[in-house]
Amino acid sequence: MGLRMKKILSYLRSMRFGILLLVLIALLSVAGSVIPQERELAWYVENYPGAHPTIFFLQLYRVFQSWYFLLLLGLLCVNLTLCSLLRGRSLLGSRERLLSACAGMKNSVPLSGEGLIRLEQHLKSKGCRSAEFGRTRVYYKHLPGAWGSFVTHLSILLTVIVGAMALTLPQVTDMDCLPGESVTLKDPNGGTARFTVSDFRTNDAGGRLDFASRLTVTLPDGRSRLGEISVNHPLSFGPYKVYQQSYGTAGSVTVTNLQNQGSDSFALTDLSFLSMDNQSGVWFVALYPDYLINANGEILPVNTGDPAYPHPVYHVQTVNGEEREDRLLFPGDTVEIGALRFRFDEPLRYPGLRIKVTPSWIEPLLIACFALMIAGLYLLFFLPPVLVRLDDEGYAVGGPKPEGMRLELMDLLNMDKGEAHS
Amino acid sequence: MNLLFFVVFGAYFLAVIAQFSATAFKKEKLARIAWWLFLAAFALHSLFLVLRGVIARRLPLSNQFEFACAFAWGIALLLIVLRDKTKADWLSAAAMPAALLVLTYAALQPREITELMPALRSAWFGIHIGSAVFSYSAFVLAGCAGLRYIRGGKTADPDDRKQRQTDYLIYRLVGFGFLFLTVVILSGAIWAEQAWSAFWTWDPKETWALITWIIYAVYLHLRLRRKMDPAVLAWYVIIAVPVVLFTFAGVNTLLPGLHSYG
Repeated sequence: MGLRMKKILSYLRSMRFGILLLVLIALLSVAGSVIPQERELAWYVENYPGAHPTIFFLQLYRVFQSWYFLLLLGLLCVNLTLCSLLRGRSLLGSRERLLSACAGMKNSVPLSGEGLIRLEQHLKSKGCRSAEFGRTRVYYKHLPGAWGSFVTHLSILLTVIVGAMALTLPQVTDMDCLPGESVTLKDPNGGTARFTVSDFRTNDAGGRLDFASRLTVTLPDGRSRLGEISVNHPLSFGPYKVYQQSYGTAGSVTVTNLQNQGSDSFALTDLSFLSMDNQSGVWFVALYPDYLINANGEILPVNTGDPAYPHPVYHVQTVNGEEREDRLLFPGDTVEIGALRFRFDEPLRYPGLRIKVTPSWIEPLLIACFALMIAGLYLLFFLPPVLVRLDDEGYAVGGPKPEGMRLELMDLLNMDKGEAHS
Repeated sequence: MNLLFFVVFGAYFLAVIAQFSATAFKKEKLARIAWWLFLAAFALHSLFLVLRGVIARRLPLSNQFEFACAFAWGIALLLIVLRDKTKADWLSAAAMPAALLVLTYAALQPREITELMPALRSAWFGIHIGSAVFSYSAFVLAGCAGLRYIRGGKTADPDDRKQRQTDYLIYRLVGFGFLFLTVVILSGAIWAEQAWSAFWTWDPKETWALITWIIYAVYLHLRLRRKMDPAVLAWYVIIAVPVVLFTFAGVNTLLPGLHSYG
């Protein structure tokens, strides 16, 4: 390997480079959190009249997908890989290596015989074990703590990689589905998966507290699973995960053919014309959650945004030949036009489903990375290795993180400041 | 409940006044009174949180008021533990007012008990938000210890044992807070996947939790550099505290997103 390559590798794995990358990622994250992301470009022109050219040039409207942010993440992965390799290599045979390195430390803090006895008793009371190296004795504990830094860095690297897969590989589809109806989705392995909502309920009038759907997922091979989904409780089956994402309210009308008394019910979500001959019938315009009555006694429908729809009002337009009339109707009202009777019912609630297709191995793997990171940090901060060498001359504190033990022993032995520590 | 909250607030206030006077006039007895007042305030504070939890029939961590109360309680708890473990009596002078300030913020928030919204009804609720309480508290206490280091550095030799102990205490507090902040972020990611279908959405609260995490990760790395002056690191943890507070309160107020629960 050439000298230049060595220098480059050395810089890429250096702490200085890692810190630089972290600072740049943090700064870009600040920008990405302050400037709303992924809006229409016109929104930025309107809201950042002076700064929008800079925002567009630097892609600050989509910071987290910009090439330079992804490049920084890539470089961070390189830094973490090299760091992990370096740390991992130094940990091979770490127990013996740590003990012999501690035993071989040159400088000792001088200590009298009485002090050494006190120190030894203290270390034993702390649960330290000992190993003999000739006339030197090494007291030690928490040696697995030496792996903390390696495990932490490796787990961060794995989390970034697997996390990126978890964000990019799944295919997500949002669908509304009325109770009693089904939606279908092309299966990644061919065929069609079906999602049938049999029931939707809200725990309170407005659905603020909770809302849930009962649904059946049917895979292309015919296998099916019935389950209930609510917020925080998705249903997993095959490669699919179905989330209770939102809910909506639709109008409901029962249309009866007065000639043969046959009837059918329809959900009304969008502007639609209910007719048998396309000439006469009812245009459904809108459903309002509430209304006001003005000083003249007129009813004014209002869109309060109240999800409970406390006083629903239908806005329809009846069409009878050339005659057209705008009308406001309440649940229970009926309208007869030609041979059809329209009875407007209480509004229906329906769920908004989010269907995610994801490789089954991603989530367990990512959660394993998370667990590894917590374990690494626990080793790093809560189990720092303790290595203390004792001989006739005095003692020395070794290991990768000797600071805590040095201070503890200084306190124990009540030493003066400026003590020389190895 | 409101009365009990203001009794708690008043008790902390008296403890802070007594501690301030004890520090200003160097009165040991007054410092002891301040500490006992603080312990009494903490006991009442714990009672308040338990009662609120019993009445609400959930952990009292669901909005800014409840989180701020728990945050102040976390600061107080860590201070009590630290004083017991490390005999760091000096920490009280900065940590007591910090707990009071957070509680003052709580007092300015709406205090009514509300039902949990659907997104918060999860087994992760306690782990995610409880970890945030301990993480933020540890960072605030690290900042308080940083103040002590800076103050001590003016009069004492920077290599002396007390300064080294303070520096090490800052490191331990940051390490503790960092571990818990990692739990916050990772448990939040698992929860977000269950609630919103994605582990990470770059929501402002998530982003600022990551920014805070990076800030303390940089501290932990800088501390490994032998040339770094501990006084600079002490300043670093002091300056980092406003970032923690922004992540806690500022983001919800100024950068609305999926975490804007009130």
